[in-house]
Amino acid sequence: MIAGVVRGREVTGDLVLEVDAVVVGTGAGGSVALRELARAGLNVVALEEGPCSTSGELTQREDEMLPLLFQDAGARMTQDLAIRVLQGRGVGGSTVHNTNLCKRTPDEILDLWARRYGVLGAAPGDLRPAFEAIERDLSVSEIDAPMRNANNDALRAGCEALGWRGGPLKHNRVGCQQSGFCELGCAYDAKQNALKIVVPQAVIAGARVYSDVTVLRLSHDGARVTGVHAEARDAAGLPRARVEVLAPVVVLAASAVGSPALARRSGVPDPYGQLGRGLRMHPGAIAAGRFDREIAGWRGIPQSYECTEHLSHEEGSDERVWIVPAFAHPIGAAATLPGFGAAHMAGMRAYSNLAVLTAMVHDETSGEVAVDDDGGPVLRYAMSEADRRQLAKGLVACARLLLAAGAREVTIPAVPALRVRTVAELERLDLAVIRPHSVPMTAVHPMGTMRMGEDPHKSVVRSTGEHHQLRGLFVADGSLFPTSIGGPPQISIYAFALHLAPHVVERARGR
Amino acid sequence: MMRAASDRTGRISRRRALGAGAALALVLAGATVAAVRTRGYAVPPGRRLVALTPWQFVVVRSAARRIAAPDREGDPSIPSADDTDVPGSIDLWVSRMHGRVRRDFGRFLAYLEHVAPVGAGFASRFTRLSPADQDAVLAALEQSPHDRLRAGFEGLKSLVFIGYYRDVRTWKLARYDGPLLARPLGGWR
Ligand SMILES: Cc1cc2nc3c(=O)[nH]c(=O)nc-3n(C[C@H](O)[C@H](O)[C@H](O)COP(=O)(O)OP(=O)(O)OC[C@H]3O[C@@H](n4cnc5c(N)ncnc54)[C@H](O)[C@@H]3O)c2cc1C
Ligand code: SF4
Repeated sequence: MIAGVVRGREVTGDLVLEVDAVVVGTGAGGSVALRELARAGLNVVALEEGPCSTSGELTQREDEMLPLLFQDAGARMTQDLAIRVLQGRGVGGSTVHNTNLCKRTPDEILDLWARRYGVLGAAPGDLRPAFEAIERDLSVSEIDAPMRNANNDALRAGCEALGWRGGPLKHNRVGCQQSGFCELGCAYDAKQNALKIVVPQAVIAGARVYSDVTVLRLSHDGARVTGVHAEARDAAGLPRARVEVLAPVVVLAASAVGSPALARRSGVPDPYGQLGRGLRMHPGAIAAGRFDREIAGWRGIPQSYECTEHLSHEEGSDERVWIVPAFAHPIGAAATLPGFGAAHMAGMRAYSNLAVLTAMVHDETSGEVAVDDDGGPVLRYAMSEADRRQLAKGLVACARLLLAAGAREVTIPAVPALRVRTVAELERLDLAVIRPHSVPMTAVHPMGTMRMGEDPHKSVVRSTGEHHQLRGLFVADGSLFPTSIGGPPQISIYAFALHLAPHVVERARGR
Repeated sequence: MMRAASDRTGRISRRRALGAGAALALVLAGATVAAVRTRGYAVPPGRRLVALTPWQFVVVRSAARRIAAPDREGDPSIPSADDTDVPGSIDLWVSRMHGRVRRDFGRFLAYLEHVAPVGAGFASRFTRLSPADQDAVLAALEQSPHDRLRAGFEGLKSLVFIGYYRDVRTWKLARYDGPLLARPLGGWR
């Protein structure tokens, strides 16, 4: 437990707070916004709907960590039930259970945002200081080759055998025990994330943080934001007290799903129908290779090597897949492997001999976050045919990599399951079955639902992060991005929150 | 009167099965859920349900036994879905679901119990079918041309495996050595 974080259950009665700024959510974006406001000497409070977990509570068990660390206990889905969407819930947000990969926003993407989406002041050179500062804060470094586990080594071997582009990744870990439980939170405090680094820095600078407090709606008069209404919950998740925050500045950092949902249920002005639109998922699916030797992919750093053979960030490119290992613990693996009953159990007996790769699509499909009658998020996303083809291409590439690395058989869990033992068999596959609802898809990088840009007809917030219509309402999370960035977004989100913080500070100072 | 469902003569015609497709749509639309028969389902004595109703519990228990069926019949080292209390685990997970998702799950269970067997050619409730026939119904759902039915099956399968593979006894078959924290000396037994 971070000193200075007040838990919902410690809120004894209804509360009214008057501050310079309130931050909603404490993940990658919210933690940085909070810290920068506090460092500027402003009176700032963050409200976080999830708990504040200590490393001692992180038990490395899927059944216990899914409800503790994930939105909807890990069962958040797109409305059509085609894509499982994993997002964090708690102080530190999704950085608590993410796999610590650190990549900057590609220059081509920043150029595209300036050229096509009218984003000002965010050219590669403008962002560089923010990237450098965040990477220093989070101790970002390259993952050493000796830390590469057998699953990642299979990817490396596949890349080398095929002569495909690949290489080591960077991460934000210090003192890593290589336990392999990253996606269930780190019991060893090795992750240099929002929970361990940035939120404590904010608290030291004077910020107040409330966990287990859900912001229900924003208050505003149609022209300026005036604060938020929230609800503190007890340990069982039951409402305990009302919390009202009066503030001339509200920073939305509840993620690319949570922020537009909150804005929509608060009736934030949306004259051009942009709010919640532009949802990108960076969706992925897996291929599993069965080896004769033990892989034990759950041991060691889960992702340390990437294949970028089929990834280009150029606009309109036909190469839009990023390939990385994606090994899951038994529950996740069992849910993904095809079939059920005796045949499925026989497949699980090979679990320790599997190497698993995922192909994530740098997607062009534009979805939407709407809200249901209860104000909860509804994710509408119908994958385009072009993106579906990328997914198929990516899974075939995964299969080729695994075969090249020595896999005896590769399975793509489609309906019906695709199984190949040779490249010739792979080439004969009917790729039409690789489609949503046939292959289990997962998205861990939703982005782009309150896009930045200067044209209010095409964006929700200005290039400063401030809402086009509501003065004082800022966005500082993955919602900001006008398109997919085609890779892991945490560093981009931390960096954009830092880059835009001076505008937030200025507004909170009453200017 | 219900026939023994594994009796081939108990199978219904393709035309009637197609008619069942219409019932499917109705069930999915939620219109017939209230009319679905929910009597005659008994939960084990002492079992207190958090979220599932008794009939849902019984359906979930039957499905879990097949979805997590052993690959080596009679092997005492393989715990069953009942040994690992998969239905109890599902009850707990359903209690964490949002109202909308919980309602959809309940509809899917109603479909599984009353309509899916008809669609697969059986004139009996799912819970009264033989294991082999239950497998046939589940396989039909898994391969269904209807996206939402497949998604319903995948959701149920995920819940079953959360309950099953959370149990230390199941890790041995996957040769998974479990959390490092609190791992007993000499490993899990
Ligand atoms: C399994 C997994 C692995 C990942 N691995 C990587 C990786 O290796 N590298 C990488 O770059 N990215 C990774 N990511 C993604 C990355 O962690 C996220 O993109 C990033 O953390 C998003 O930052 P954010 O600030 O937009 O939102 P989040 O970090 O998700 O934070 C949002 C916070 O807002 C809170 N919130 C939501 N609604 C409300 C409300 N109404 N009131 C109060 N609080 C609210 C949430 O509880 C949450 O804590 C991974 C994600 C997952 C799920
Ligand atoms: S692999 Fe490293 S960062 Fe991940 S959980 Fe283990 S010790 Fe923590």
